[in-house]
Amino acid sequence: MSVPVSQMWTVATYVLRQRLAGRKRYPLVLMLEPLFRCNLACAGCGKIQYPAQVLRKHLAVEKCLQAVEECGAPMVSIPGGEPLMYPEIDRLVAELVKRKKYVYLCTNAILLKEKLDLFTPSKYLSFSVHMDGLREEHDEAVCRDGVYDQAVPAIQEALARGFRVTTNTTLFDGASPLRVRAFFDEMMRLGVEGMMVSPGYSYSKAPDQEHFLRRSRTSQLFREILSNPKKHWRFNQSPLFLRFLMGKQDYECTPWGNPTYNMFGWQRPCYLLQDGYAETFAELMETTPWENYGRKSGNEKCQDCMVHCGFEATAVHHTFNSARGFAETVLVTITGKL
Amino acid sequence: MSLQGWVPDIGPYLTLEEVIEHAFDYRGNVTVVRRDGSELVGYLFNRDSSAPEPFVQLIDEDGNGPLRVRYAEIASVRFTGKDTAEGNSWKAWIERKEREKAQPAPDA
Repeated sequence: MSVPVSQMWTVATYVLRQRLAGRKRYPLVLMLEPLFRCNLACAGCGKIQYPAQVLRKHLAVEKCLQAVEECGAPMVSIPGGEPLMYPEIDRLVAELVKRKKYVYLCTNAILLKEKLDLFTPSKYLSFSVHMDGLREEHDEAVCRDGVYDQAVPAIQEALARGFRVTTNTTLFDGASPLRVRAFFDEMMRLGVEGMMVSPGYSYSKAPDQEHFLRRSRTSQLFREILSNPKKHWRFNQSPLFLRFLMGKQDYECTPWGNPTYNMFGWQRPCYLLQDGYAETFAELMETTPWENYGRKSGNEKCQDCMVHCGFEATAVHHTFNSARGFAETVLVTITGKL
Repeated sequence: MSLQGWVPDIGPYLTLEEVIEHAFDYRGNVTVVRRDGSELVGYLFNRDSSAPEPFVQLIDEDGNGPLRVRYAEIASVRFTGKDTAEGNSWKAWIERKEREKAQPAPDA
Protein backbone atom coordinates (compact mmCIF):
# COMPACT_ATOMS: atom_id res chain seq x y z
CA MET A 1 0.00 0.00 0.00
CA SER A 2 1.25 3.47 -0.83
CA VAL A 3 -1.63 5.63 0.33
CA PRO A 4 -0.19 8.26 2.71
CA VAL A 5 -1.07 7.83 6.38
CA SER A 6 -2.86 11.20 6.55
CA GLN A 7 -5.09 10.20 3.64
CA MET A 8 -5.78 6.79 5.17
CA TRP A 9 -6.63 8.48 8.46
CA THR A 10 -9.01 10.89 6.72
CA VAL A 11 -10.78 8.04 4.93
CA ALA A 12 -10.91 5.86 8.04
CA THR A 13 -12.39 8.58 10.24
CA TYR A 14 -14.83 9.56 7.49
CA VAL A 15 -16.07 5.96 7.14
CA LEU A 16 -16.38 5.60 10.91
CA ARG A 17 -18.34 8.87 11.13
CA GLN A 18 -20.76 7.57 8.49
CA ARG A 19 -21.10 4.36 10.42
CA LEU A 20 -21.75 6.18 13.71
CA ALA A 21 -24.33 8.34 11.95
CA GLY A 22 -26.05 5.14 10.83
CA ARG A 23 -25.69 5.95 7.12
CA LYS A 24 -26.14 2.86 5.02
CA ARG A 25 -25.10 4.54 1.79
CA TYR A 26 -22.39 7.15 1.58
CA PRO A 27 -19.96 8.35 -1.09
CA LEU A 28 -16.22 7.79 -0.86
CA VAL A 29 -14.86 9.45 -3.99
CA LEU A 30 -16.62 12.10 -6.04
CA MET A 31 -15.99 11.61 -9.75
CA LEU A 32 -16.07 15.18 -10.99
CA GLU A 33 -16.11 15.55 -14.77
CA PRO A 34 -15.78 19.26 -15.56
CA LEU A 35 -15.67 18.57 -19.30
CA PHE A 36 -15.82 15.77 -21.85
CA ARG A 37 -13.32 17.28 -24.27
CA CYS A 38 -10.16 15.21 -24.70
CA ASN A 39 -6.99 15.35 -26.78
CA LEU A 40 -7.08 11.58 -27.26
CA ALA A 41 -9.72 9.11 -28.49
CA CYS A 42 -8.82 5.86 -26.76
CA ALA A 43 -10.10 2.52 -27.99
CA GLY A 44 -11.70 1.51 -24.70
CA CYS A 45 -13.17 4.86 -23.70
CA GLY A 46 -16.90 5.52 -23.88
CA LYS A 47 -16.75 8.92 -22.22
CA ILE A 48 -16.16 11.43 -24.99
CA GLN A 49 -18.52 10.50 -27.81
CA TYR A 50 -20.73 13.59 -27.86
CA PRO A 51 -21.77 16.24 -30.37
CA ALA A 52 -19.56 19.30 -30.75
CA GLN A 53 -21.67 21.65 -28.65
CA VAL A 54 -21.39 19.26 -25.68
CA LEU A 55 -17.63 18.88 -26.11
CA ARG A 56 -17.23 22.66 -26.21
CA LYS A 57 -19.08 23.12 -22.91
CA HIS A 58 -17.66 22.78 -19.42
CA LEU A 59 -18.83 23.23 -15.88
CA ALA A 60 -18.18 26.47 -14.03
CA VAL A 61 -15.84 26.14 -11.05
CA GLU A 62 -18.66 27.27 -8.78
CA LYS A 63 -20.89 24.42 -10.01
CA CYS A 64 -18.04 21.97 -9.37
CA LEU A 65 -17.57 23.27 -5.83
CA GLN A 66 -21.29 23.13 -5.17
CA ALA A 67 -21.23 19.45 -6.19
CA VAL A 68 -18.25 18.82 -3.90
CA GLU A 69 -20.09 20.39 -0.95
CA GLU A 70 -23.32 18.52 -1.71
CA CYS A 71 -21.54 15.19 -1.94
CA GLY A 72 -19.19 15.55 1.03
CA ALA A 73 -16.82 12.75 -0.03
CA PRO A 74 -13.26 13.13 1.31
CA MET A 75 -11.68 12.39 -2.08
CA VAL A 76 -12.35 13.98 -5.45
CA SER A 77 -11.24 12.37 -8.67
CA ILE A 78 -11.20 14.63 -11.72
CA PRO A 79 -11.45 12.53 -14.85
CA GLY A 80 -13.06 13.72 -18.05
CA GLY A 81 -12.27 14.33 -20.86
CA GLU A 82 -8.81 15.61 -20.22
CA PRO A 83 -8.93 17.82 -17.11
CA LEU A 84 -5.81 19.74 -18.13
CA MET A 85 -7.86 21.12 -21.04
CA TYR A 86 -10.30 22.63 -18.54
CA PRO A 87 -9.56 26.36 -18.62
CA GLU A 88 -9.88 26.82 -14.85
CA ILE A 89 -8.27 23.61 -13.67
CA ASP A 90 -5.75 25.52 -11.52
CA ARG A 91 -8.49 27.43 -9.67
CA LEU A 92 -10.61 24.30 -9.27
CA VAL A 93 -7.72 22.31 -7.80
CA ALA A 94 -6.68 25.19 -5.51
CA GLU A 95 -10.24 25.46 -4.16
CA LEU A 96 -10.42 21.71 -3.55
CA VAL A 97 -7.07 21.67 -1.78
CA LYS A 98 -8.23 24.62 0.33
CA ARG A 99 -11.17 22.42 1.36
CA LYS A 100 -8.74 19.62 2.28
CA LYS A 101 -10.10 17.26 -0.31
CA TYR A 102 -7.72 14.60 -1.60
CA VAL A 103 -7.67 15.29 -5.32
CA TYR A 104 -6.75 12.82 -8.03
CA LEU A 105 -6.30 14.75 -11.25
CA CYS A 106 -6.56 12.06 -13.93
CA THR A 107 -4.56 13.01 -16.97
CA ASN A 108 -3.00 11.47 -20.03
CA ALA A 109 -0.03 13.77 -19.28
CA ILE A 110 0.23 15.18 -22.79
CA LEU A 111 -0.21 18.69 -21.36
CA LEU A 112 1.22 17.99 -17.92
CA LYS A 113 4.71 19.38 -18.40
CA GLU A 114 3.51 22.72 -19.79
CA LYS A 115 0.78 23.07 -17.14
CA LEU A 116 2.78 22.12 -14.06
CA ASP A 117 3.44 25.77 -13.22
CA LEU A 118 -0.28 26.19 -12.60
CA PHE A 119 -0.12 23.93 -9.56
CA THR A 120 1.57 23.85 -6.16
CA PRO A 121 2.70 20.54 -4.66
CA SER A 122 0.44 19.42 -1.84
CA LYS A 123 -0.32 16.24 0.02
CA TYR A 124 -3.90 16.78 -1.16
CA LEU A 125 -3.04 16.77 -4.88
CA SER A 126 -1.98 13.76 -6.89
CA PHE A 127 -1.59 13.59 -10.64
CA SER A 128 -3.05 10.25 -11.64
CA VAL A 129 -1.45 9.57 -14.99
CA HIS A 130 -3.19 7.29 -17.44
CA MET A 131 -0.66 4.61 -18.38
CA ASP A 132 -2.02 1.41 -19.89
CA GLY A 133 1.27 -0.40 -20.18
CA LEU A 134 4.72 -0.14 -21.66
CA ARG A 135 5.28 2.01 -24.77
CA GLU A 136 3.78 -0.39 -27.31
CA GLU A 137 0.70 -1.30 -25.28
CA HIS A 138 0.04 2.23 -24.07
CA ASP A 139 0.27 3.87 -27.48
CA GLU A 140 -1.98 1.17 -28.90
CA ALA A 141 -4.53 1.70 -26.10
CA VAL A 142 -4.64 5.46 -26.66
CA CYS A 143 -4.55 5.09 -30.45
CA ARG A 144 -1.64 7.46 -30.96
CA ASP A 145 2.08 6.91 -31.33
CA GLY A 146 4.40 8.80 -29.01
CA VAL A 147 2.07 9.35 -26.06
CA TYR A 148 4.06 7.07 -23.75
CA ASP A 149 7.18 9.05 -24.58
CA GLN A 150 5.38 12.27 -23.70
CA ALA A 151 3.98 10.90 -20.44
CA VAL A 152 7.22 9.53 -18.99
CA PRO A 153 9.18 12.82 -18.95
CA ALA A 154 6.08 14.62 -17.67
CA ILE A 155 5.90 12.16 -14.76
CA GLN A 156 9.60 12.65 -14.07
CA GLU A 157 9.24 16.42 -14.13
CA ALA A 158 6.23 16.36 -11.79
CA LEU A 159 8.09 14.09 -9.37
CA ALA A 160 11.18 16.27 -9.52
CA ARG A 161 9.06 19.28 -8.59
CA GLY A 162 7.69 17.47 -5.54
CA PHE A 163 4.23 16.54 -6.77
CA ARG A 164 2.50 13.33 -5.82
CA VAL A 165 2.19 11.17 -8.94
CA THR A 166 0.29 7.93 -9.28
CA THR A 167 -0.62 5.95 -12.37
CA ASN A 168 -3.95 4.52 -13.41
CA THR A 169 -3.98 1.50 -15.68
CA THR A 170 -6.90 -0.12 -17.43
CA LEU A 171 -6.41 -3.65 -18.67
CA PHE A 172 -8.22 -5.34 -21.51
CA ASP A 173 -8.42 -8.85 -22.91
CA GLY A 174 -5.17 -9.80 -24.56
CA ALA A 175 -2.97 -8.10 -21.95
CA SER A 176 0.23 -10.04 -21.33
CA PRO A 177 0.81 -10.69 -17.61
CA LEU A 178 4.57 -10.63 -18.10
CA ARG A 179 4.45 -7.29 -19.92
CA VAL A 180 2.16 -5.85 -17.24
CA ARG A 181 4.62 -6.97 -14.55
CA ALA A 182 7.46 -5.35 -16.49
CA PHE A 183 5.34 -2.20 -16.73
CA PHE A 184 4.85 -2.17 -12.94
CA ASP A 185 8.63 -2.46 -12.54
CA GLU A 186 9.11 0.46 -14.91
CA MET A 187 6.62 2.70 -13.10
CA MET A 188 8.32 1.93 -9.79
CA ARG A 189 11.67 2.72 -11.37
CA LEU A 190 10.25 6.10 -12.42
CA GLY A 191 9.44 6.69 -8.77
CA VAL A 192 5.66 7.08 -8.83
CA GLU A 193 4.01 6.98 -5.43
CA GLY A 194 1.72 4.12 -6.33
CA MET A 195 -0.24 2.45 -9.08
CA MET A 196 -3.94 1.92 -9.63
CA VAL A 197 -5.11 -0.89 -11.84
CA SER A 198 -8.52 -2.00 -13.00
CA PRO A 199 -10.16 -3.99 -15.78
CA GLY A 200 -11.92 -1.86 -18.36
CA TYR A 201 -15.68 -1.51 -18.36
CA SER A 202 -17.49 -2.64 -21.50
CA TYR A 203 -18.83 0.77 -22.48
CA SER A 204 -21.42 0.28 -25.19
CA LYS A 205 -20.19 3.50 -26.84
CA ALA A 206 -16.47 2.64 -26.84
CA PRO A 207 -15.02 2.10 -30.31
CA ASP A 208 -13.34 -1.23 -29.54
CA GLN A 209 -16.02 -3.68 -28.40
CA GLU A 210 -13.90 -6.83 -28.76
CA HIS A 211 -11.38 -6.55 -25.94
CA PHE A 212 -13.41 -6.02 -22.80
CA LEU A 213 -12.68 -8.62 -20.15
CA ARG A 214 -15.31 -11.06 -18.94
CA ARG A 215 -15.37 -11.80 -15.21
CA SER A 216 -13.63 -15.20 -15.24
CA ARG A 217 -10.93 -13.93 -17.59
CA THR A 218 -10.42 -10.88 -15.37
CA SER A 219 -9.71 -13.06 -12.34
CA GLN A 220 -7.37 -15.28 -14.34
CA LEU A 221 -5.45 -12.32 -15.74
CA PHE A 222 -5.06 -10.57 -12.38
CA ARG A 223 -4.04 -13.82 -10.66
CA GLU A 224 -1.29 -14.21 -13.24
CA ILE A 225 -0.17 -10.62 -12.76
CA LEU A 226 -0.45 -10.29 -8.99
CA SER A 227 -0.08 -13.75 -7.44
CA ASN A 228 3.62 -13.23 -6.85
CA PRO A 229 3.85 -9.46 -6.34
CA LYS A 230 7.28 -7.91 -6.20
CA LYS A 231 8.21 -6.24 -2.92
CA HIS A 232 8.88 -2.87 -4.53
CA TRP A 233 5.46 -2.62 -6.21
CA ARG A 234 3.23 -0.05 -4.52
CA PHE A 235 -0.47 0.23 -5.22
CA ASN A 236 -2.50 3.30 -4.46
CA GLN A 237 -5.65 1.31 -3.80
CA SER A 238 -7.17 -1.14 -1.37
CA PRO A 239 -5.30 -4.48 -1.25
CA LEU A 240 -8.65 -6.18 -0.74
CA PHE A 241 -9.80 -4.76 -4.07
CA LEU A 242 -6.74 -6.31 -5.69
CA ARG A 243 -7.63 -9.62 -4.04
CA PHE A 244 -11.14 -9.21 -5.45
CA LEU A 245 -9.68 -8.78 -8.95
CA MET A 246 -7.75 -12.01 -8.40
CA GLY A 247 -10.96 -13.83 -7.48
CA LYS A 248 -9.94 -14.21 -3.83
CA GLN A 249 -12.74 -12.00 -2.47
CA ASP A 250 -16.35 -11.95 -3.53
CA TYR A 251 -17.75 -8.45 -3.42
CA GLU A 252 -20.96 -6.82 -4.54
CA CYS A 253 -20.85 -3.45 -6.26
CA THR A 254 -21.27 -0.20 -4.31
CA PRO A 255 -22.55 2.02 -7.13
CA TRP A 256 -23.05 5.04 -4.85
CA GLY A 257 -19.45 4.80 -3.60
CA ASN A 258 -18.07 6.92 -6.48
CA PRO A 259 -20.92 9.22 -7.51
CA THR A 260 -20.41 11.14 -10.74
CA TYR A 261 -21.20 14.78 -11.46
CA ASN A 262 -20.89 16.43 -14.86
CA MET A 263 -22.65 19.02 -17.02
CA PHE A 264 -25.71 16.75 -17.27
CA GLY A 265 -26.11 16.49 -13.48
CA TRP A 266 -25.65 13.58 -11.06
CA GLN A 267 -25.29 10.45 -13.15
CA ARG A 268 -27.44 7.42 -12.33
CA PRO A 269 -26.37 4.95 -11.10
CA CYS A 270 -22.58 5.15 -11.33
CA TYR A 271 -19.53 6.41 -13.18
CA LEU A 272 -19.92 3.80 -15.90
CA LEU A 273 -23.62 3.45 -16.61
CA GLN A 274 -25.79 6.31 -17.84
CA ASP A 275 -29.36 5.53 -16.93
CA GLY A 276 -30.30 9.15 -16.40
CA TYR A 277 -29.45 12.19 -14.29
CA ALA A 278 -30.60 13.71 -11.01
CA GLU A 279 -30.45 17.44 -10.32
CA THR A 280 -29.12 17.11 -6.78
CA PHE A 281 -26.95 14.66 -4.91
CA ALA A 282 -29.79 14.04 -2.44
CA GLU A 283 -32.12 13.21 -5.33
CA LEU A 284 -29.52 10.81 -6.75
CA MET A 285 -29.18 8.98 -3.44
CA GLU A 286 -32.87 8.92 -2.60
CA THR A 287 -34.51 8.17 -5.94
CA THR A 288 -32.08 5.87 -7.76
CA PRO A 289 -33.41 2.29 -7.72
CA TRP A 290 -30.14 0.87 -6.39
CA GLU A 291 -31.63 -2.62 -6.20
CA ASN A 292 -31.54 -2.71 -10.02
CA TYR A 293 -27.73 -2.57 -10.10
CA GLY A 294 -24.86 -4.84 -9.16
CA ARG A 295 -24.30 -8.45 -10.04
CA LYS A 296 -27.00 -9.86 -7.75
CA SER A 297 -29.62 -7.66 -9.38
CA GLY A 298 -29.26 -9.65 -12.60
CA ASN A 299 -28.68 -6.43 -14.56
CA GLU A 300 -26.76 -7.66 -17.59
CA LYS A 301 -24.72 -4.45 -17.75
CA CYS A 302 -23.28 -5.26 -14.33
CA GLN A 303 -22.47 -8.95 -14.77
CA ASP A 304 -18.87 -8.63 -15.96
CA CYS A 305 -18.04 -5.37 -14.27
CA MET A 306 -15.18 -5.48 -11.73
CA VAL A 307 -14.12 -1.87 -12.11
CA HIS A 308 -12.60 0.00 -9.16
CA CYS A 309 -15.27 2.71 -9.10
CA GLY A 310 -17.85 0.09 -8.11
CA PHE A 311 -15.83 -2.27 -5.97
CA GLU A 312 -13.08 -0.30 -4.29
CA ALA A 313 -15.68 1.36 -2.06
CA THR A 314 -16.91 -2.12 -1.12
CA ALA A 315 -13.37 -3.15 -0.23
CA VAL A 316 -12.85 -0.03 1.90
CA HIS A 317 -16.19 -0.62 3.61
CA HIS A 318 -15.12 -4.21 4.31
CA THR A 319 -11.85 -2.99 5.85
CA PHE A 320 -13.43 -0.51 8.21
CA ASN A 321 -16.67 -2.30 9.03
CA SER A 322 -15.54 -5.77 9.98
CA ALA A 323 -12.77 -7.13 12.19
CA ARG A 324 -12.02 -9.72 9.53
CA GLY A 325 -11.74 -7.12 6.78
CA PHE A 326 -9.47 -4.98 8.93
CA ALA A 327 -7.29 -7.97 9.86
CA GLU A 328 -7.02 -9.06 6.22
CA THR A 329 -6.01 -5.55 5.16
CA VAL A 330 -3.36 -5.32 7.89
CA LEU A 331 -2.02 -8.77 7.02
CA VAL A 332 -1.76 -8.01 3.30
CA THR A 333 -0.19 -4.63 4.00
CA ILE A 334 2.45 -6.10 6.32
CA THR A 335 3.31 -9.21 4.32
CA GLY A 336 2.85 -7.72 0.84
CA LYS A 337 1.27 -11.02 -0.22
CA LEU A 338 -2.05 -10.62 -1.97
CA MET B 1 -26.04 -0.53 -36.17
CA SER B 2 -26.34 3.23 -35.94
CA LEU B 3 -29.68 5.00 -35.79
CA GLN B 4 -28.23 7.98 -37.66
CA GLY B 5 -30.80 9.30 -40.12
CA TRP B 6 -33.70 7.35 -38.61
CA VAL B 7 -37.10 9.00 -38.91
CA PRO B 8 -39.28 6.87 -36.66
CA ASP B 9 -42.92 6.40 -37.48
CA ILE B 10 -44.66 6.76 -34.16
CA GLY B 11 -47.90 4.81 -34.10
CA PRO B 12 -49.42 1.57 -32.86
CA TYR B 13 -46.17 -0.39 -33.31
CA LEU B 14 -43.73 2.16 -31.98
CA THR B 15 -44.54 4.43 -29.05
CA LEU B 16 -43.13 7.87 -28.38
CA GLU B 17 -41.69 6.52 -25.14
CA GLU B 18 -39.73 3.84 -27.04
CA VAL B 19 -38.39 6.39 -29.49
CA ILE B 20 -37.30 8.65 -26.63
CA GLU B 21 -35.43 5.72 -25.06
CA HIS B 22 -33.54 5.24 -28.33
CA ALA B 23 -32.85 8.97 -28.51
CA PHE B 24 -31.54 8.91 -24.93
CA ASP B 25 -29.10 6.16 -25.91
CA TYR B 26 -28.07 7.95 -29.11
CA ARG B 27 -24.76 9.90 -29.04
CA GLY B 28 -25.68 12.44 -31.68
CA ASN B 29 -28.04 15.38 -31.98
CA VAL B 30 -31.71 14.68 -32.53
CA THR B 31 -34.56 16.88 -33.70
CA VAL B 32 -37.47 17.03 -31.30
CA VAL B 33 -40.61 17.94 -33.20
CA ARG B 34 -43.21 19.56 -30.97
CA ARG B 35 -46.93 19.17 -31.41
CA ASP B 36 -47.16 22.84 -32.39
CA GLY B 37 -44.83 22.13 -35.32
CA SER B 38 -41.75 23.84 -33.86
CA GLU B 39 -38.47 21.95 -33.72
CA LEU B 40 -35.60 21.78 -31.26
CA VAL B 41 -32.26 20.32 -32.36
CA GLY B 42 -29.87 19.16 -29.70
CA TYR B 43 -28.31 16.35 -27.68
CA LEU B 44 -30.94 14.54 -25.62
CA PHE B 45 -29.08 13.53 -22.47
CA ASN B 46 -31.84 12.73 -20.02
CA ARG B 47 -35.40 11.56 -19.80
CA ASP B 48 -37.73 10.69 -16.95
CA SER B 49 -40.80 8.76 -17.91
CA SER B 50 -41.79 8.15 -14.30
CA ALA B 51 -41.98 11.83 -13.30
CA PRO B 52 -45.47 13.25 -12.65
CA GLU B 53 -44.99 15.09 -15.96
CA PRO B 54 -42.55 12.95 -17.98
CA PHE B 55 -39.84 15.06 -19.65
CA VAL B 56 -36.66 15.00 -21.70
CA GLN B 57 -33.64 17.30 -21.30
CA LEU B 58 -31.39 18.53 -24.08
CA ILE B 59 -28.35 20.68 -24.77
CA ASP B 60 -29.29 22.52 -27.96
CA GLU B 61 -27.05 22.97 -31.01
CA ASP B 62 -25.69 26.25 -29.64
CA GLY B 63 -24.78 24.70 -26.31
CA ASN B 64 -27.71 26.18 -24.39
CA GLY B 65 -29.28 24.07 -21.72
CA PRO B 66 -30.30 21.96 -20.04
CA LEU B 67 -33.61 22.59 -21.83
CA ARG B 68 -36.63 20.65 -20.64
CA VAL B 69 -39.44 19.43 -22.92
CA ARG B 70 -42.46 17.51 -21.62
CA TYR B 71 -43.40 14.25 -23.34
CA ALA B 72 -46.87 15.73 -23.80
CA GLU B 73 -45.41 18.45 -26.05
CA ILE B 74 -43.53 16.03 -28.32
CA ALA B 75 -44.94 14.73 -31.59
CA SER B 76 -41.83 12.88 -32.78
CA VAL B 77 -38.05 12.67 -32.62
CA ARG B 78 -35.76 12.37 -35.64
CA PHE B 79 -32.16 11.13 -35.47
CA THR B 80 -30.70 13.92 -37.54
CA GLY B 81 -27.21 14.39 -36.10
CA LYS B 82 -24.03 12.44 -36.74
CA ASP B 83 -23.64 9.40 -34.48
CA THR B 84 -20.45 10.28 -32.59
CA ALA B 85 -20.13 6.74 -31.21
CA GLU B 86 -19.55 5.13 -34.59
CA GLY B 87 -15.85 4.82 -33.84
CA ASN B 88 -14.55 6.08 -37.18
CA SER B 89 -11.33 7.57 -35.84
CA TRP B 90 -10.54 4.32 -34.06
CA LYS B 91 -11.23 2.33 -37.25
CA ALA B 92 -8.90 4.68 -39.14
CA TRP B 93 -6.18 4.18 -36.51
CA ILE B 94 -6.51 0.37 -36.68
CA GLU B 95 -6.39 0.42 -40.48
CA ARG B 96 -3.30 2.63 -40.44
CA LYS B 97 -1.53 0.36 -37.96
CA GLU B 98 -2.41 -2.70 -40.02
CA ARG B 99 -1.04 -1.03 -43.14
CA GLU B 100 2.16 -0.16 -41.26
CA LYS B 101 2.55 -3.74 -40.03
CA ALA B 102 2.01 -5.07 -43.55
CA GLN B 103 4.78 -2.87 -44.98
CA PRO B 104 8.25 -4.48 -45.06
CA ALA B 105 10.79 -3.04 -42.62
CA PRO B 106 13.09 -0.42 -44.29
CA ASP B 107 16.19 -2.61 -44.06
CA ALA B 108 14.41 -5.83 -45.14
